[in-house]
Amino acid sequence: MGNGGQANKPVGKVMVVGAGIAGVQASLDLANAGFYVHLVEKKSAIGGVMAQLDKTFPTNDCSMCIISPKLVECGRHLNIDILTLTEVEGIQGEPGNFHVDVLKKARGVDMSKCTGCGTCLEACPIRYEPQMPEMERMARTAYAKATDEDAVTAIINRHRDKVGNLLPVLLDINRQFNWLPRCALEHVADELRIPLAEILRVASFYNAFSLVPRGKYIVNVCMGTGCFVKGAPRLLDRLERELGIKHGQTTEDFMFSLELVRCIGCCALAPAMRVGDDTFGRLTPNMIPRILKSYVESYGIEEEEEAAG
Amino acid sequence: MKITTLSQLEDLKRQGLTQTYPDKIKIMVGMATCGISAGADKVYTALEKKIAELGLDAVLEKTGCIGFCQREPLVDVIYPKQVRVSYEGVTPEKAEALVEALQTGEVFAENILCRIDQEDFLIEGKIRPYANPHPPALPGDIPTYEEVPFFKKQVKIALRNCGFIHPERIEEYIARGGYLALYKVLKEMTPEQVIEEVKASGLRGRGGAGFPTGLKWEFCRNAPGDMKYVICNADEGDPGAFMDRGILEGDPHAMLEGMAIGAYAMGAREGYIYCRAEYPLAIHRLEIAINQAEKLGLLGDNIFGTDFSFRVEIREGAGAFVCGEETALIASIEGKVGEPRPRPPYPAQSGLWGKPSNINNVKTWSHVAPIIMRGAKWYAKFGTKKSKGTTVFALVGKVNNTGLVEIPLGITLREMIFDIGGGIAGDRAFKAVQTGGPSGGCIPEQYLDTPVDYESLGALGSIMGSGGMIVMDDRDCMVDVAKYFIDFTKDESCGKCTPCREGTLRLMEMLEAITDGKGEEEDIEKLQDLSEMIIDSSLCGLGGTAPNPVLTTIKYFREEYEAHIWAKKCPARVCKALIVFHVDEDKCTGCTLCRKRCPVEAVEGVKKEAHRIIQEKCIKCGVCFDSCKFDAVIVE
Repeated sequence: MGNGGQANKPVGKVMVVGAGIAGVQASLDLANAGFYVHLVEKKSAIGGVMAQLDKTFPTNDCSMCIISPKLVECGRHLNIDILTLTEVEGIQGEPGNFHVDVLKKARGVDMSKCTGCGTCLEACPIRYEPQMPEMERMARTAYAKATDEDAVTAIINRHRDKVGNLLPVLLDINRQFNWLPRCALEHVADELRIPLAEILRVASFYNAFSLVPRGKYIVNVCMGTGCFVKGAPRLLDRLERELGIKHGQTTEDFMFSLELVRCIGCCALAPAMRVGDDTFGRLTPNMIPRILKSYVESYGIEEEEEAAG
Repeated sequence: MKITTLSQLEDLKRQGLTQTYPDKIKIMVGMATCGISAGADKVYTALEKKIAELGLDAVLEKTGCIGFCQREPLVDVIYPKQVRVSYEGVTPEKAEALVEALQTGEVFAENILCRIDQEDFLIEGKIRPYANPHPPALPGDIPTYEEVPFFKKQVKIALRNCGFIHPERIEEYIARGGYLALYKVLKEMTPEQVIEEVKASGLRGRGGAGFPTGLKWEFCRNAPGDMKYVICNADEGDPGAFMDRGILEGDPHAMLEGMAIGAYAMGAREGYIYCRAEYPLAIHRLEIAINQAEKLGLLGDNIFGTDFSFRVEIREGAGAFVCGEETALIASIEGKVGEPRPRPPYPAQSGLWGKPSNINNVKTWSHVAPIIMRGAKWYAKFGTKKSKGTTVFALVGKVNNTGLVEIPLGITLREMIFDIGGGIAGDRAFKAVQTGGPSGGCIPEQYLDTPVDYESLGALGSIMGSGGMIVMDDRDCMVDVAKYFIDFTKDESCGKCTPCREGTLRLMEMLEAITDGKGEEEDIEKLQDLSEMIIDSSLCGLGGTAPNPVLTTIKYFREEYEAHIWAKKCPARVCKALIVFHVDEDKCTGCTLCRKRCPVEAVEGVKKEAHRIIQEKCIKCGVCFDSCKFDAVIVE
């Protein structure tokens, strides 16, 4: 890639991979020093995590105030070629002469003409479809039944006149479906005239809500201090092994979801857990298979052996 | 019927008394969440069935938790005109035997915890004795309620009715002096007098920070504005604490009455109870309580026929620890993300929907009615010079007697743990006691004689907190405990301010490295520096106290950190990366149990010969250790 110019002049082009704050800053420094920079970013926009943060550590400076001028500068810099939605597939060569293969994913938009006005985003009838995980797509089809929509409408009507009713509505929907289906939230946004973005912010803040489908029975392992010192972590180990999932996940047949709860207030009978609405106290890991079995027959099969002493 | 006069209240009280203490046998099952998880619902069903089957003339009732959760399921029997007996650890089979004994007119003499000779009607300052405390059928050496070590040093003010009344019946609350205080306040006292009384009592916020309650009320009363709110914080987010649940499930009216009195004193007409969604039973019982009180005109419009109106609404939390912080709690009630905001302005000036608001904890509210009825002087008798009255602790962890205890402030940690708690379970060695939840600290043995009050615990680097008291023994790794709390605060940090969001994450990374055996020389100093920085620069109390568990464990258990970092050993044998399991060949009988139970087939050996653990396969789950009946599996 080098141009083989005079010895003292900067030569060649540089590729920066990853356009977070570090990548952006490096690109700017290099570009200002006279290098031509290819800035490669996997996501659809540059900025990375810092663009999502409120403040920076440890000085509490506003992070957008730091990064946004750099983003603009980066976008306008004639020495920087931004390659978004792009991934590096292979590198060959040696310092000064690299050959890099990149995969540029289709954006479906002519980048030279797009001004980023956002009109197409609003007009698109299937706005969220492309990024929706498979599981949610499934549940979305399931939710589309008229009864579900009626249930959500009934919930909204129950709380309509209250001030600050978003949380009660979300709690009831969460109870009804065991999670918050996207389309139910859209319905709430329409009915209560609250922007969907705000609803999602609230829904993702509180631990009780799930934005992905959960199983029929939610197994809440209490991780209160009382339970913790009395062996809750080992209870969790056992549950994870028996169910074949990690906490925060749901079994493939959508029977159990395994979650951690802060404290169910059963500390005197630690360690404790809750399955659906039932609370169990004074547990040992060896009691887990039998409890799971009492909910779903096919779980927790363990050889009922007690070897002779 | 709406109650407007004292005689109507007295009528209801008489009705409540006959209901609470009927002329026939009354069986009460402790049915709070703790009791239910110990199997009280099965006991209740068994009792119900057996009573119907034998046609026993008895009343079967549910009640709240008397506090001694360790011995659940607890069943109390009132033998009419005789005595009340508490039974512990009742199984459905025992329950049937109990009914059979009662049917033959006997006193059931198994599983007795204690006999109750008299009941304390705290509000009126009366004792209600039972007619015949020593029926001949009762074995002679049964201790009375006051003699049981667990109850002996307790003074129950907030918990006065828990375990004695049916929490879903307002008459039973009134029978024990309920709503008399509200009547007195509305008919005889001015709001200023109420505030003076609460101020004089020395009551301080039982949520943890200990701000003088009367002063807080005064700020709210004096704040300009004609719409004011009172809020009850029942978002008990501290892990390892369940005092609020105990009160709400056992005696919801105690809190409601306190709130109504507070509302009158501050000039509020509306109140909110912010209760965490993890307590479905508490919410259910609160709903019933509010409904009943409204029907009788004890809440709602024109209470007791006066022009004072007070409506209460329950708002459920959705599982966010930071919502226990008052400004975050207010944001959450408003339906927003529960993030705290800087104070001032304090909620007393600008709270819920920008109006002056007062937030008190469930326990604080429950103390109000007794203070009004018995007077500030009476209340101030309990406690120390600066910390008056009693407070409720959830005594849990590695003690023999776990449960809810209400103690006068100022008794020592040693009395709490060894007298009330009955010492360490399994005769292990005491290592530390943790108070104040994730904001508190771990207190080591040398400070066991410290009195339990706001200042003394604060001086040790811990806090009183809302009332969790978790006892730890020599098998608890203090680095692991610190990691546990930081993991908690890291997850619960709302992310608004950086020191808390990023700082707790870095603390967590360092602690994880230490417990994984990758700790480095200067880690302890780094932890301390970072902790102090987080404390100094965080926006709210969550971040400002989050490093306390780290700082106190370093302060008092530095050698454990050093063992992890230098010797790569976990002295308590908890941290998986630093322990190995192996079999003591002399003790192993070759029973094969561990081999069968091992989830990863890491145990090899043939029957009747010593087994061996294959270290490469071992995932250190501890199943073999638990399974071995001969203590042949050793952890090092």
